[in-house]
Amino acid sequence: MPSREPSRTDGLVVVAISVLAAVLVIAGLVYAAGTSGRHKAALAAAGCEPNLSPSGLQCTTVQMLTSRYAAITAPVNQQLKTDMAAYGASEWRHLAAARAALTAEVTVENSFGASLARFPFPPDTAQLAKTLIQVNETRAQLTAEQARSSSLKRLRSFNRRVKAAAAAVRAAVTLVRQSLDSPPAASQEP
Amino acid sequence: MATTRDYQPDLYPGDAWNGRDDEERPDFARRPPERAAKKSVDEWMEVEFKFGGSRIKRKALALILLGAPAAAPLFFMLPALLTLNENTFSVSVDDTLGTGAELCLFLCLLVTPLVTLTGQRWFVPLRRWYGIMMACCAIGDALAAGLTDSFAGGFLGRVAGHAFELVGFIMVMLVLPLLATGNRWAQRKLGRYWKKLHWLTYVIWALLAVHLMLLEGFGFQHGSDGSGFPGDGDAVFHQRLYQYSACSVFLLALRLPPVRRWIAARQKEGRNWLVYATILPVFALFVFGLIFIVNEEIFKGIDSFTEHPSAE
Repeated sequence: MPSREPSRTDGLVVVAISVLAAVLVIAGLVYAAGTSGRHKAALAAAGCEPNLSPSGLQCTTVQMLTSRYAAITAPVNQQLKTDMAAYGASEWRHLAAARAALTAEVTVENSFGASLARFPFPPDTAQLAKTLIQVNETRAQLTAEQARSSSLKRLRSFNRRVKAAAAAVRAAVTLVRQSLDSPPAASQEP
Repeated sequence: MATTRDYQPDLYPGDAWNGRDDEERPDFARRPPERAAKKSVDEWMEVEFKFGGSRIKRKALALILLGAPAAAPLFFMLPALLTLNENTFSVSVDDTLGTGAELCLFLCLLVTPLVTLTGQRWFVPLRRWYGIMMACCAIGDALAAGLTDSFAGGFLGRVAGHAFELVGFIMVMLVLPLLATGNRWAQRKLGRYWKKLHWLTYVIWALLAVHLMLLEGFGFQHGSDGSGFPGDGDAVFHQRLYQYSACSVFLLALRLPPVRRWIAARQKEGRNWLVYATILPVFALFVFGLIFIVNEEIFKGIDSFTEHPSAE
């Protein structure tokens, strides 16, 4: 318990702090009331393209969309690299380890497919995205089949087909990325 | 799982301005009636109830429920840790664990003002828990930044190569002795020096302001220049230094001797309503700042948990 006797100054300090806080809270609430208008202005200033937005969703900038897309593809890319390196290290001598690496790859590929399916692709990228989801699914099925191999020889026999499927996914990823990056043509404006 | 036995009172400093714990106060009979009434909540919390074949105190359940969210920042980073996802660490660990450490620090510092206001003490053990979680988040943030950040200069360059990082690094160094001595054994061994050592919490609190000033500056987002997210119309609310300041007003005000004296006098008069009415705007400001920090933690934390880190 504070030892000094309470004085009038103590009350003034409390009131001053309280009034200051009240003013700040009110200012904050007033500022918050203008959020919607500022949001629209900020999006317009950041180069918002209304036709990039899937219907029903708020306006999205090219930058926001590509950043979200990169946030999905970058970790998948990295994880697949790790799994493929693990597979490469064991494909000639350790069946169980190679199968484990492939199983991990399948998990990542399936998760990638699920993320793509949830992604709000704009209409002009939707077809490319659909193709990407399909080729990714093909790759995942092939990798899963490879992971079920009962011998190292059988396992390696899939390598060429898996490589081709991976190249198809990479090409589709690049096409989607390029499509998201490019601003919509005038004829596509709503 | 933590139990009430793990929680020990006053393992983080109570009021640096006071120097005396409530235990040292005159006996309960000499307390004003208002304080005596508050004590009944503490007594209610001590009552045991039956739970799954054993008996536990209400206080234990309340402490676990209130303490669990403090582990959320570490939980959010767990998938990235288990899968060694360097990308998630490098992109969002500073936001998830750094913001988590800030939140835990504020919660740790919130305990004493709430004791002052309510006169209740059943939640005091949370101070230690929040302090430990703050230390874990801060250390995790520094380690991850040192290992995965893109700055040059090796581990040390990445944790202390920039001014704001250096301040953060000092904070982490200060948190280490607090974490090491945040137990009853150390409290016994250090005796009266223990409390002085734990005043370092206030130094960390002040250094956090410097860290955020260097990180965010004093202004806010204009176009693509400044702190916060440009696609959002709430640049002011996303300025971390402003969030910190809004929260700190309440935490600091209720530690000021004039404010404490005034509150004690009103409580003695039995006019607690006046205390609550006067402190309400200050508390509202605290909540105003805190909700945006919590929003940031949840948003970035979920992105980290799903390993789709957001650098917004």
